[in-house]
Amino acid sequence: MRPPLLAVVHILPNAMHRGIRLWVPLFLVWLLLLPFLLVLLPVFFVVCAAIDIHPFKTLGAFIAVLGSLNGTHVEVDSPSASVFIHVY
Amino acid sequence: MSENRRQILDMLAQGKINADEAERLLKALEREPGSTTTAADARRNEQVKYLRVVVDAHDDQDGPTKVNIRVPMQLLRAGVKLTSIIPPRARTEVNEALRKEGIDVDIGKLTPESLEDIVEQLRDLQVDVDHEHAKVRIFCE
Repeated sequence: MRPPLLAVVHILPNAMHRGIRLWVPLFLVWLLLLPFLLVLLPVFFVVCAAIDIHPFKTLGAFIAVLGSLNGTHVEVDSPSASVFIHVY
Repeated sequence: MSENRRQILDMLAQGKINADEAERLLKALEREPGSTTTAADARRNEQVKYLRVVVDAHDDQDGPTKVNIRVPMQLLRAGVKLTSIIPPRARTEVNEALRKEGIDVDIGKLTPESLEDIVEQLRDLQVDVDHEHAKVRIFCE
């Protein structure tokens, strides 16, 4: 199980000629977020203690959700707009 | 148990072959693809990977709309794991709310085994809605 590394997002409003075509390098996003996550980690532990949930289980569950996003595919094609999202 | 395996065990029981020969035959059967497992067994061994939702709608005013969604089953499994981190107080309230709706399930007792059972049952899930303006298909693949 690995976190998603790339997301392809196409949003094409059919009324316009040019829409948005994005290749989002998620691995860079994770790298950028990592320092913030490390800073927020003590806060996270305090919050977990306050609301009586297990911090490591919670972290594990979130990582599991993140890691299982690979292969998600959403495609909507309507006369007004087309949306395409694929997570690699 | 497959037919071939049963025949070998019958021959062993009748004394037509000895234990070593039976073992050799069973191993040979295991090596031979498709002989030991029935089509149903093979299908069962296949992992369900995705939940698919396909909608093909046609609105008189807006025109045709197509929706194609593929959700990894792994996400479903991970999502159910999130129930284990619900605080005990909230869990009681959720269980109570479910019970009021006629669903007698304790979400705190969802184990990996029961989760696999749920996913296993989803293998045969197929929902087909054929409406005048829309066709909806929900299935696992």
